[in-house]
Amino acid sequence: MSDISRREFLKGLAVGGTVGYFAMAGVSSTVMRNSFIPPAKVGAVDIGECKSLKIKVITETSWFNNALLMDDMKKAGGLLVNQYEIPWTNKGVTEGWKGDNAGGYATLVEVEFLDGSTKKILLDTGWNVDWTDTCFKREGIDKMLANGEIDCLFVSHEHFDHFWGIEATLKYRPDIPILVPKGFYQEGFDLLKGANFPKCHLANNVPHTGPLKVQESEKVHKLYPGVASITFDVPIITRVFGEQALVFNLKDKGLAIVTGCCHMGIISLMEHVKQTIKGGDNFYAIQGGLHISPFEDWDPQYDDLVLALHNYGLKTMGCNHCTGYVTAEKFVTIGLPVVKGTAQHKSKRDIFLGNGDMMII
Amino acid sequence: MNQNNSLWVETRDLQPRLKQPLQGIINLLLVTAFFLLVWWIFMDPRGIIRWYTPQYGYMYIRWILIAAIWQVYIFNYWPFKDSFLNNKHPLIKGLILIGSNIVIVAFMVWVFCYAFLGNLSIPYLNPKVLTGLGMTEFFAREYSSLAILMMAAIASWLSPVWPVCFDNHPWQNLTQPARGFTVWVWTFFLTLIAFLILMHPHYHVLFYPWQEYAAAYPWWYGFARTLSGNFNVGWVMCGTVSIWFLELVFDRYPIRLIKKQPLRGIIGFLFVFTMAWLIFFAFLFLQDVSWGPAVEGAKRLYAPDWRHLHCGELACMMLIPMMTLHFYFDNWPKKYSPSINIAIRCAIIFIATGILHYLYYKYSPPILGTQPGYSHPQQFPMAPVILWINMMLYHYWFMDMYPGKRLATRKERLPVSNLIAEEA
Repeated sequence: MSDISRREFLKGLAVGGTVGYFAMAGVSSTVMRNSFIPPAKVGAVDIGECKSLKIKVITETSWFNNALLMDDMKKAGGLLVNQYEIPWTNKGVTEGWKGDNAGGYATLVEVEFLDGSTKKILLDTGWNVDWTDTCFKREGIDKMLANGEIDCLFVSHEHFDHFWGIEATLKYRPDIPILVPKGFYQEGFDLLKGANFPKCHLANNVPHTGPLKVQESEKVHKLYPGVASITFDVPIITRVFGEQALVFNLKDKGLAIVTGCCHMGIISLMEHVKQTIKGGDNFYAIQGGLHISPFEDWDPQYDDLVLALHNYGLKTMGCNHCTGYVTAEKFVTIGLPVVKGTAQHKSKRDIFLGNGDMMII
Repeated sequence: MNQNNSLWVETRDLQPRLKQPLQGIINLLLVTAFFLLVWWIFMDPRGIIRWYTPQYGYMYIRWILIAAIWQVYIFNYWPFKDSFLNNKHPLIKGLILIGSNIVIVAFMVWVFCYAFLGNLSIPYLNPKVLTGLGMTEFFAREYSSLAILMMAAIASWLSPVWPVCFDNHPWQNLTQPARGFTVWVWTFFLTLIAFLILMHPHYHVLFYPWQEYAAAYPWWYGFARTLSGNFNVGWVMCGTVSIWFLELVFDRYPIRLIKKQPLRGIIGFLFVFTMAWLIFFAFLFLQDVSWGPAVEGAKRLYAPDWRHLHCGELACMMLIPMMTLHFYFDNWPKKYSPSINIAIRCAIIFIATGILHYLYYKYSPPILGTQPGYSHPQQFPMAPVILWINMMLYHYWFMDMYPGKRLATRKERLPVSNLIAEEA
């Protein structure tokens, strides 16, 4: 490359700078955005209406000692290690359930239709079979299962604390219809069939004999009048993939969303509902784990969520479990309508709905 | 070690052992295989050591990169002499230089960050201090790893600016190690200032309650629509990629046409800065087109902070074809005018980045042990990509591209007249 005069260089710089400026302005300008970015969709799927909801928290205590759980994951190689490969601590935990650190998450959702009839959905089935069974007996879930009063088991996702206690459900009703999200791994299906996984101290001694449906992702699945589910293709820690949530359209109130863990993010979920379900811009309530600070960890991104949640006009919030106490405190501080609990049956604080608490919407 | 201002790596004469493209392909396959082995041993969540937790392993990957940049661009291989660099077998030389690289990384992380700054200045730079304050061991290590790796990320943007844009001005006439230490102190000072402005406010909101007496509120919140420092991670990474663009693809053109310093340095830095923002905005726009606009407070694909981070991830992916073209295929083409050469190389890099992006997200779960999906809060494509780059830099800077290339012999290097004179 030969020398170049100052004038030529400055000319080149001016041309380059101008082109660069217009390129930068162009890609970020309203004109370009309007031309290339499709407008937001308006929800069109009509799921009908239902009358009311009763949500009973059976257990939201997924583990009893947070530091021990994190230590198990740290020793195994972090948050991306396959959950079936982690030797979870199951002995000698003082605050645990009979020394086991495993608890679990399970909720009973009872929906009342416009004609007064009802259906019951068991949302998730815990982790520690003995703990889950004890909670089932406390709330009468064992009898409801045995009597066929519960319509289906809706598994939000494959995580240890939501699904591994499957035996607690199947021992009372092995043929219960089960809905799982797309993304379940073979280990999950094997567990349903009665497989054992000694490394992670997991076993199911009652094979599932009823119908099993894998819910496809990014679709609205109509379950009953006014009740639907949506599955998300979402990668989750410990190699889990896919999660589904329940959506209810309550007459004269609006939409209520009930989640297991909500790894897809509550705002992402509500935005998706807005764009797919008719009337999706009128949110009334949310209930369940919101997966914000499950390990009492934090990230500035979570503050983004806390600050933005105000924009959705929620009238009531029954968050618990993986929402985290830190998040709940922040919600309460900025005035979000968090429903308080009673801090019983090993739920540690009353800042949100705990074990045995009920929310009626 | 030569004492003028040119780098040994720029003056060395590499001769091909095989013809192109065979030589480039074999070398590239070898370095890729080595990267996969190193990933499996140290990082893969199914592998042996499993440091990709993810921030802990990612921190070391980041520091390996900046330590190698310091070794070559700032210290010009000091304390190793030209005779060592010219005569040692590439495998032995590689082992020694890589060993030195690891020692620098260990010193910077364990001594400078953990023991010195972490104990005496900022608690989040030492996981044990955080644990002592009541945090779980896992998150204590992850939070401090993020801070420490960001220091390296900012350094890998600012450190090469001085040798590449400023030609080490005004210290170009110093000999090593004086020049190396002077430029290192200056650029690391700039790095620390940039860290305090770009990343420290992230830690204002990371802890609960907010640390309002210790760090400024994230000043970018109003326009970035997130409190997360990922906004800065994204554009700083684009800055790092821009300086490599200037060095490898543009061959420092047109900045090299400016003869006077510090004018060349200032314009060079502005060039890199502008290019970084162009890349950043272009990738933000591409994501908006692909997935729709980001939503405040959303997670995963729709999270504004993840979109910013992904701009940096996409920019980093451009480094793979950029370095492949430069290191393994002799920076083809070279026969046209600079602007045409650059345009063709850019076109190759853009297309190859698109292909790499597709292949990465399709095949990384079985190959690297990552999870399927674009957005995952616990995985960063920058980690494997930068480790792959590190292996390429080890190969190119420390091992003379063995076995595809070799250093020219003394006879090949010296003009015939010099050899005759020496023999006489």
